[in-house]
Amino acid sequence: MTPDDLKKKIINSQIWRSIFRGGEWKDTPRDRAQHILGNVWLHLQPSRVRKNGLKWTYTFGLGGLSFFLFLILTVTGVLLMFYYRPSVDLAYRDMKDLQYAVSLGSFLRAMHRWSAHAMVLIVILHMIRVFLTGSYKTPREFNWVIGVVLLVLTLLLSFTGYLLPWDQLALWAVTVGTNMAAASPGLGAEGPFAILGRSNDVRFVLLGGTAVGANTLLRFYVLHCVFVPLVAGALMILHFWRVRKDNFSGPPIAPEQLPHDKVDTWPHLIVREYIAALGCMIFVSVWSLLQKAPLEEMANPTVTPNPSKAPWYFTGLQELLVYFDPWIAGVVLPTLIAVGLMAVPYIDPDKTKGVGRYGFKERPLALTYFLFGVGMWFTLIFIGSFLRGPNWDIYMPWESWLIHKPPPPRTWSLPLVWGLLAVGGYFILGMILPLLFKPEFEWKKALRNGFLAILGFASVVKLSTKIYWEQTLWLVVFTYIYYILGVLVPRRHLTNQPKVRYAVTMVLVLMMLGVLMKMGVRLGFHIKYILTLPQFQLNI
Amino acid sequence: MAEPVAPPSSSPAASQEISRRSFLKLGWGALLGFAASSAGATLRFIFPNVLYEPPQTFKAGRPEEYPMGVSTRWTKEQRVWIIRSEEGIYVLWARCTHLGCTPNWFQAENRFRCPCHGSNYTPAGDVIAGPAPKPLYRCAVRLLPSGEMLVDKSILEDRPGLREKPQFFVKFTGGSSNSAAPANA
Repeated sequence: MTPDDLKKKIINSQIWRSIFRGGEWKDTPRDRAQHILGNVWLHLQPSRVRKNGLKWTYTFGLGGLSFFLFLILTVTGVLLMFYYRPSVDLAYRDMKDLQYAVSLGSFLRAMHRWSAHAMVLIVILHMIRVFLTGSYKTPREFNWVIGVVLLVLTLLLSFTGYLLPWDQLALWAVTVGTNMAAASPGLGAEGPFAILGRSNDVRFVLLGGTAVGANTLLRFYVLHCVFVPLVAGALMILHFWRVRKDNFSGPPIAPEQLPHDKVDTWPHLIVREYIAALGCMIFVSVWSLLQKAPLEEMANPTVTPNPSKAPWYFTGLQELLVYFDPWIAGVVLPTLIAVGLMAVPYIDPDKTKGVGRYGFKERPLALTYFLFGVGMWFTLIFIGSFLRGPNWDIYMPWESWLIHKPPPPRTWSLPLVWGLLAVGGYFILGMILPLLFKPEFEWKKALRNGFLAILGFASVVKLSTKIYWEQTLWLVVFTYIYYILGVLVPRRHLTNQPKVRYAVTMVLVLMMLGVLMKMGVRLGFHIKYILTLPQFQLNI
Repeated sequence: MAEPVAPPSSSPAASQEISRRSFLKLGWGALLGFAASSAGATLRFIFPNVLYEPPQTFKAGRPEEYPMGVSTRWTKEQRVWIIRSEEGIYVLWARCTHLGCTPNWFQAENRFRCPCHGSNYTPAGDVIAGPAPKPLYRCAVRLLPSGEMLVDKSILEDRPGLREKPQFFVKFTGGSSNSAAPANA
């Protein structure tokens, strides 16, 4: 009997057929559709998919890989739970046991850690891909919103996970994270308009006390192992179901053409998913064999490591916190980023253009701002990860951390009146400026004239005040970026929109550029706050 | 079906019978009330009533044991710095007011510098660089009859003017064994 005969015999046996349903397997299109529809796991996918969705270079398999990494994390996480006890006395010892005494414990822990890092990266890349191909457009708006929530949950899963080893990274990351929550307006003891105190605010709930301790560890354990995965799992089901119902995105096509644009899921899509999962599994396994998961010293609530760095996906936030008051960088900006991303499908003026294609020309406005925002975020991550050393001073990657850097210069804040004028002027002028330019301008000419004007403005400032040459350079660079992204791009692509859409989009754009401008004045001119109202703990 | 059933004329209480619509309203109201009170109860549940946290007071020895300037003697154990100026002694809580890390003391620069986001403080606790929004907190401190100082980390003050009050300051001008660099308090 040849292997093929054997295979056929097995597939047509009563046992096999009883497990997988359906009659005799004849490999007809109907059989292949039935195989997907009749299987509880596979029927999450449609029986036929658009050809576009099968191209490697279209999806890069990023969504599927995110889910596959979630599965790896579930399995390795459950296994690690057999040896881990969430108590302050035992947690760190259990980590050491996992590292040195448990067979394959070190490998499983490494796999759990690196898969988590990979999942964060892949989820972010998946979001970028979906944006670039316009796949959030009608009818997929709400699935994009769910996707943003899933991204936040992925970050929360990582964050709640890294208290559990009870090492120094764990303790100080969670100290910083929960203190950010305490900076929430109203809800936190240290935020603007605080009405609650240390022992009844939002930080107290997160910690289960006033400092990171036994209650905190237990709370984060339950959140990490039960609560967040359940919520994320439920939303994932919703997310996948919507993907299936709304089809894979692709270039618009006449409805009567659609059936001809589709191929059978079994085997075309399943094979690709299998290969992607296999590659991912091999990569994560090999990486985990070569590289142990880091474990720092045991948590010490009085001594902070110097420098104390978050994992890479939070160093952007950590770097952002340097330039702003905690309530802005820790609460307002992350919320705005999440809400702004969710709002994207609803404020994007064009509901059909550029769907299913990578291309800049069709959607210059959306792609410019999205890529600029993503670029800014990864620049912050780069600075935080590679350019910061002891005392959070700037150290070039080739500089030794043993060199002692001079302390940073004194910072100062604008007086209240100037602050109000600056913030108010920025937003009011920012809304008006693009409208003052001629709608039909030539890019080259506008760029050159703008540059010359800014150069002239900077020279006047340089000559009339005592600013240094570096500061003049900062002035030119940041004003020029503002001129391009805050004036020219909106003028060309946004001013033709209805007033409300123009206003909403412009506010978001001005806030994104405002973050950059504030960083500029901090780095260049040592300005701590533009606007400060210490009575209300309100600083911008 | 939709109109209310006409009350049987024989019953005197019939006019008080509630209509289907108001009954449903009552039902929805009750359901909402139940959901709201459940949410409230759950919220209350997650606030612990009893905390098992380390005590916030400790004895920090006698004033004369401290030389002029910033002492890191208790930093690792109690997370405070004891600072002696010309007039006396005050205690700074070694918790950055930015996001709660422990800053380090740099004698040569006469500054505290935080390793998490780069906040800098003077020995008085005032912010001179970095993102910290407020000065370092001072802890309540008093002299016991035994001559030792009792530090209470649960009573904190950071506002200039109030933080210099006797509750947060032990007057002491006596001599000490040795004197280090004076602090710019």
